[in-house]
Amino acid sequence: MAETTERLRRTMMFVPGNNPAMVKDAGIYGADSIMFDLEDAVSMAEKDAARALVYEALQTQDYGDAELVVRINGDDTPYYHNDIKAMVKAGIDVIRLPKTETADMITTLVADVAAAEKEFGREEGSTHVMAAIESAKGVLNAPAIAAASDRMIGIALSAEDYTTDMKTHRYPDGAELEFARNMVLHSARAAGIAAFDTVFTNMDDTEGFYRETKHIHQLGFDGKSLVNPRQIAMVNDVYQPTEKEIANARNVINAIEEARIKGSGVISMNGQMVDRPVVLRAERVMRLAKASNLVDEEGNDLEK
Amino acid sequence: MEIKQTALAGTLESSDIQIMLSKGTDGVSIELESDVEKQFGDQIRLVITETLHQFELDNVKVKAIDKGALDCVIKARTIAAAQRALQTQDQPAWEVF
Amino acid sequence: MDNEIVDLHLRDRHERKQWESFLTDLGITDFSTQETAAIDFTLGIYEGDRLVATGSAAGNVLKYIAVCNKDTTNGARFNAIVSALINRLFQQQIFHLFVFTKLKYSDSFQHVGFHELAHSDVAALLETGDEGIDDYLQAIPRVADQDTKQVAGIVMNANPFTKGHRYLVETAAKANDVVYVFVVNTDASLFTTAERFELVQAGTADLDNVIVVNGGDYMVSFATFPAYFLPTADQQVTYQTTLDARIFRERIAPALNITARYLGTEPLSRTTGIYNQVLTKELPPAVNVTIVDRKQTDTGTFITATAVRKAIAEDQLDSLADLLPVSTVTFIKDHLSTLRARIQKGMNINGN
Repeated sequence: MAETTERLRRTMMFVPGNNPAMVKDAGIYGADSIMFDLEDAVSMAEKDAARALVYEALQTQDYGDAELVVRINGDDTPYYHNDIKAMVKAGIDVIRLPKTETADMITTLVADVAAAEKEFGREEGSTHVMAAIESAKGVLNAPAIAAASDRMIGIALSAEDYTTDMKTHRYPDGAELEFARNMVLHSARAAGIAAFDTVFTNMDDTEGFYRETKHIHQLGFDGKSLVNPRQIAMVNDVYQPTEKEIANARNVINAIEEARIKGSGVISMNGQMVDRPVVLRAERVMRLAKASNLVDEEGNDLEK
Repeated sequence: MEIKQTALAGTLESSDIQIMLSKGTDGVSIELESDVEKQFGDQIRLVITETLHQFELDNVKVKAIDKGALDCVIKARTIAAAQRALQTQDQPAWEVF
Repeated sequence: MDNEIVDLHLRDRHERKQWESFLTDLGITDFSTQETAAIDFTLGIYEGDRLVATGSAAGNVLKYIAVCNKDTTNGARFNAIVSALINRLFQQQIFHLFVFTKLKYSDSFQHVGFHELAHSDVAALLETGDEGIDDYLQAIPRVADQDTKQVAGIVMNANPFTKGHRYLVETAAKANDVVYVFVVNTDASLFTTAERFELVQAGTADLDNVIVVNGGDYMVSFATFPAYFLPTADQQVTYQTTLDARIFRERIAPALNITARYLGTEPLSRTTGIYNQVLTKELPPAVNVTIVDRKQTDTGTFITATAVRKAIAEDQLDSLADLLPVSTVTFIKDHLSTLRARIQKGMNINGN
């Protein structure tokens, strides 16, 4: 697990790496994570230009609190090593490896990243990684992939290639993704990292987007990959906690505070001991509530 | 240093700049087309010149068509064009990045 | 996905139909084979299933550019498609590009870095790339005090150089201080550009005031005047030759102080006949046009390069001495098998 305090990762917005207008404006939509794409969104002839563009943008543009991710080209391409070097030198938060099929691929990536950190004088361990699962093999190896390195912050399902590999395609009800979603999600939870659902590309089907987002929220995903900034508000809407959830969470937080004041090692509520997962969930709900502007920094209700 | 071949980077789309480098005869000459030439022409030329200077390119003809690019975009496109002109895209000049 | 640039495959009947109907809606309707066969690649932008922009390239010429500006920032799709065409051509090492467009679109192209070479009431020709007409003109050799000299120009394909060409050059050389002979650069003839150039040089070597130069992309080139190389309707020929004439009048002649252009009469080729008419109309008063009667053999037949090529194809080499200077005869005899092989491979010898 890369971080002790978990951050919100409801929305990971894809930004084509060779498009200056989109790279420049990526920070203004309030995505939790911004993923600059050097892979599928960039034609072969423009790989070098996209790499330079994302690098220079990272040096100068203000992306606020967003977590900055870059999807590099796979290790079977001639761009892989230069992508890693450029992005490590730029100080990217997370490198996303596409088409991950084995834990070894992550081990190799981490070694390459560590070497680049050394070469460019960056703090060792400062660059995190995540894996995109895009094949049957990747899904079956997901538990090992998720646990392959303590630099791993997350694992994502990428459905276009996966459904092709499975000799199917995407359907509105998502039945073809059910196994993969659960594998990715369980692997992430077992390893203590984030789970990201795949993109939904039909921008005209708002209803379908909500249906899918509610479904993956129900399963337990941290969030979803997005291709269009318009989808950010919709995901945040689905992830917004209910008043009841906030009230419960506030009770838990109060109990923690009470235990701290009493100097007690045991947190209890209504005579019951409060387990760590309950504490973590309460903290997560309060973070979501704050992000949705439902409560202030102290956890007090805000006028809507 | 001289470039090896004519090269182009960037596009004519909004917020981008298209940079073309070809062999020059007399130092770095820049032909710039920009809607904001009056306000930002000098700055655009400066970013291009400084970046080329870092590649030690001192004899090069530049044609730049600006569509409202930020400095970081101008620099990135100049880097890409220079590396293509020197045929070194596969060995990025990290010190210039 | 929306607004991405994709390749269009015109061999695919469905895509071809969609492409033609989109262009037709925007007023481009000439899909004749000679126009479309030259296309190397075609790009498009879709919005959903709807084609909203397209452009093609044939050699170094951009063609069939059309953009629908509905629901978008004006110019965004135009810039995207032109940009993609330029990038693709540069990847193919084509660094000097032309576009032949309706006059009203000239500004749009100039806004993305093209320079206008000339325009008529209906059409404009523009170029962009690493070298332009100023670079071309600068590289042409000049004589001392050229500004004060009487300078003439002749443009010829010389496929190959005949006694007729020689007579035309000689006539001009007698009446002027300097004569530029511009040899057509497009390599689409039985004799290659290098061969034609060499034969013009050899055939005029004794004339001290003649300077032989390559006509580059600016005189009767495939970019400026495709009709010279392809069967084309008269109206198109007039459009193209008007631009060719204006480039000569406005760009080439002033730079070299050329005040006279010499032409041979054209009894045989319809296209060249129209060209001569247009030159006569467009060039004066800046450039005087002198039409020299076509040279005939002693037996009274017109000397044409077409007849020479026919003689090569039909193996009647004895007739060549009447038509050609010695230098050209020697070259043909030395390279007969190569020339024949080209004809056998399908090189058209009946054009220009």
